[in-house]
Amino acid sequence: MFETEVTGKLYDGQSARAHSVVVTVCDHKGSPALEIAQTDQACLYWPTLDLRELSDQARNEGIVLQLAGDNPARLIIPHGHAEDVIRQISPLLGKRDVQKSMLRKLMLWGAGAVASVVLILLVILPAMSDQLATMIPPEREAALGRTSLKQIEKFLSKSGKTLTCRNKAGVAALDKMVARLSEGADIPFDLNVQVFRHPMLNAFAVPGGNIVIFEGLIKASDTPEEVAGVLAHEIGHVFAHDPTRLTLRSAGSAGILGMVFGDFAGGFAALVITERLINASYAQDAEAGADSYAHGVLRKSGLPSAPFGDFFEKLKKKYGDKQGLMSHLASHPNLTGRAKAARAASTVSDANFEPILSKREWQDLRGICS
Amino acid sequence: MSLQTTQPETELTCEYRGKKAPLFRVVLLNALLTVLTLGFYRFWAKTRVRRYFWSATAPGGDPLEYTGNGLEKLLGFLIAVAFLAIYLGIFQLLLGFAGLSLFSGGTGTQDKALQLLLAQATLLAIIPFVFYAQYRARRYILSRTRWRGIRFGVDSAAWGYVWRAMGHWFLVILSLGLLLPRKTFWLEKYKIDRTWYGNARFVQGGNWPMLYRAMRHIFLAVGLFVVGLSLMFLQGAVSMKALASGDALAAAAFALYVLPLFLLCSLWFSYGYVYYSVTSFRLLAEKKQLGDSVSFATAPGPWRIFWRYIFGMLLTLLCVALVMILAAFVGGIFGYSNINLDANITSALMTLDPLEIAYAVFVYLLIMGLFGVFMTIFITHPILGHYVAKTRILNADALHDIEQRSRDEMVEAEGFADALDVGAAI
Repeated sequence: MFETEVTGKLYDGQSARAHSVVVTVCDHKGSPALEIAQTDQACLYWPTLDLRELSDQARNEGIVLQLAGDNPARLIIPHGHAEDVIRQISPLLGKRDVQKSMLRKLMLWGAGAVASVVLILLVILPAMSDQLATMIPPEREAALGRTSLKQIEKFLSKSGKTLTCRNKAGVAALDKMVARLSEGADIPFDLNVQVFRHPMLNAFAVPGGNIVIFEGLIKASDTPEEVAGVLAHEIGHVFAHDPTRLTLRSAGSAGILGMVFGDFAGGFAALVITERLINASYAQDAEAGADSYAHGVLRKSGLPSAPFGDFFEKLKKKYGDKQGLMSHLASHPNLTGRAKAARAASTVSDANFEPILSKREWQDLRGICS
Repeated sequence: MSLQTTQPETELTCEYRGKKAPLFRVVLLNALLTVLTLGFYRFWAKTRVRRYFWSATAPGGDPLEYTGNGLEKLLGFLIAVAFLAIYLGIFQLLLGFAGLSLFSGGTGTQDKALQLLLAQATLLAIIPFVFYAQYRARRYILSRTRWRGIRFGVDSAAWGYVWRAMGHWFLVILSLGLLLPRKTFWLEKYKIDRTWYGNARFVQGGNWPMLYRAMRHIFLAVGLFVVGLSLMFLQGAVSMKALASGDALAAAAFALYVLPLFLLCSLWFSYGYVYYSVTSFRLLAEKKQLGDSVSFATAPGPWRIFWRYIFGMLLTLLCVALVMILAAFVGGIFGYSNINLDANITSALMTLDPLEIAYAVFVYLLIMGLFGVFMTIFITHPILGHYVAKTRILNADALHDIEQRSRDEMVEAEGFADALDVGAAI
């Protein structure tokens, strides 16, 4: 207990006037309390269990006390013996009081916010972009495709020269392949397939029916049917408007995650990984769709799908497969699985089919960049 | 320590009690926790910094008190996300669709203008919310601010602020900045006339032309640039024709003359900007009144604040650079090198060793966080201190008659400002 009483300063929370008060420790209704006496007012009793201290304070005039709850009154006791006593007899000075209703509201709105983000990213945006992708005028989409193709070419080309390979015999062989694979299919665009002079083992489709195969892929293939499998896959993307759908989706989702994770510093890593996960799950769906479209095309054209499987094995050998966590981040599904699926889809015997290109034409295609 | 009260006071000076070391502890811990929680600590972090700065600001020796808490900020943020996610997602998708549908494939000016317009359109969709969020954030902060146990408060009038702010900004852009004082004055008046301390209301007096004094250095910097440029052409030092025809000599002469002129004028212009914000703050503060008679005087020095910015920025860069060198050194010990995150972070993530990635991401986040830490210490802290120490409250006796106002619950807190990242600086 205090040896003597201590003089403190009270802001009663009613007026902006400071009151000089005399504080003593007393017993109020059976529990220890601070008795706060003012000259012309009734005494206040603050139970020590309800005392809370203001934290993160730059002030140095003393300890600042308040009552639990939203009581606006503040009592300031100068540093010294009285402060030490108050610290001893008030066990809950540092407690943070959280209302139950606050936690309930937090759960409710937390669920609301999550539901809203999930709904927009996984339901509304995919549904709307699938719908809108088919409503863009084909000539606009083709124009967009040509522009992005030009940009990609500029990006890949080191010398600034065009990458498109134009060897006449090679182009004729390629056209023959495209004609057989797209025969009778209801494709929304005129297909524009070309080969880029680049060692990468890859192919891609951009909006408007534009497909590019890299020379590296043709060089790495042992038979024309391997190339045909990849080409059928890309035609599958064109058929499903995939490039446009994915562009629209990412236009819609840009910024939403930034909002959730907030400032640049704290949320940046989370932002990148989550965005990657979502885009990858969009893209993996599209890839799987294009794969099964390719299986169908190969079957209809009377071509075996095993070579398509061989191609995935080659990819795996060259770039490795993504396992575990990383496989969820990759934009393409697991290669072993895709190779297996391609083999399983085969209805045409490996030995007994009409080759898509003659030996001579295959050599022409391989020399398309010469 | 004396706790004398009720002495006659007609004029209160403001004390600033912030110190670098305790503030550094608060903000450094905040930065670490924010990184470790992937950004979720930011609501508590901001609250703690505010508690510190508020308690360091003591008009008449009595500190302000910030009574907000992190949980209610988190709640407000969740409410804002629930509404904004769907609105923004659909709006951006439709804009993307419009962009693709109107795209004609050319690289001509028309297409570029169109794309630029669409990129700005997303911004346009957010702008009303930004002003809304700013007004609400101010209302939240003041409703959680107390002095001498009495609450501040702001009337709920955010939408009125939104259309006024948009209109004023439109005029500022249309007039190439000439109407900036008009915007500053009327928006300040809108906010101040709706601000309360207890049961006493603030009133913003004065008029907008009085703020043209504060524009002085902006006008001088722009004027010098224009005069310098026209002199160059008039004197024939460089002929417009030779420049247009791509004459190398003319271009070199142009660069030699214009570059220093441009550097000088842009430095002056940035001083002009600081001068404007400091001086307009002073002119507006001198015309503010609380209740019937309480008024204010302040004398912040524009030149001093300008150098505080520059000096603080340099110190921040220096400290961050030191940390980066240290991090590279530590990384070198573990053999993590050749980490290049700026080109393409996602493809880098695909090919690197997970440990290297973790280290690189940690260092990157740490450095981004440290920028905030050092800027708080070297810029916010000294500048706030300067403003506070230079401010006085006049006729302060009348403060004693002010009585408490009721609590403004404001469940949404400043959630919209947090979601859109447009909140107050502190």
